[in-house]
Amino acid sequence: MRIRTMAAGIAAAASMTFSGFGYAAAQPGDFSTLPVDPNLITDSLAYSAAPPVINPNGQPGVETVYTHRDGSRTITTTVLVLPDAQAATGALDGARAALGTVANGKSQPVAVGSGGTMLTGMSSDGSQSVTLLSFAEGNTATTIEFAGAAKDPAPEDLVLELGRKQDTAIRDWQAA
Amino acid sequence: MRKIGMALAIVAMMSGSAATAQTAYAAQSSHDTNSYTQPAVPVGPKVQMFDCQGGTGAMGCGAGFFWRDGWRGWGCYPC
Repeated sequence: MRIRTMAAGIAAAASMTFSGFGYAAAQPGDFSTLPVDPNLITDSLAYSAAPPVINPNGQPGVETVYTHRDGSRTITTTVLVLPDAQAATGALDGARAALGTVANGKSQPVAVGSGGTMLTGMSSDGSQSVTLLSFAEGNTATTIEFAGAAKDPAPEDLVLELGRKQDTAIRDWQAA
Repeated sequence: MRKIGMALAIVAMMSGSAATAQTAYAAQSSHDTNSYTQPAVPVGPKVQMFDCQGGTGAMGCGAGFFWRDGWRGWGCYPC
């Protein structure tokens, strides 16, 4: 199950932010290498990646869906590259406004990137567990969604580990 | 007469040898060459907790963990 509303929220916030801004501050290059493969922190064969979606919802960035080999878990990483840090923060604020779609959601700040937040809960129909990690890093806004069986939520340590690796990858990309 | 003396001397010598041999045997038998091994004290039954699958831990997983293909792939996960 995908939480489309969150991506839409980011896109909407980003769209509003883009008015009056250009893309000059966004780094050129191939965004497809930005998402961190979760196999780096698993047994290295657990997930297969779908082809990355470049500029999802018309926004500069990338989205990649990783599916567990048993088909019961997905990790969706979305990195939007916005004009500046303010736009990135605004995009995350917009995304969080859409988090009400997660039933019984519990939100907590986490030490990942800037303004890192982790939301855990259930999908609106209660069929799946959902964990959403969101954070900004410079001019990027990142969300990582973990969806699994209702009784098999993503472990917090896994969420944080992947989030921190993603944050590091973004910083390295920005510094390059 | 000379033959009688000779015979007595031989008998005396043989008796002495036999007595010496007996003493030597007695000395030898005083050492117990059979080593006695203390039987091992039986160790009490070891208590090993069952894991959540009712076994004692597959793939080296400890009690309370079991082997499955989880978020991190194959590994030991808490029950």
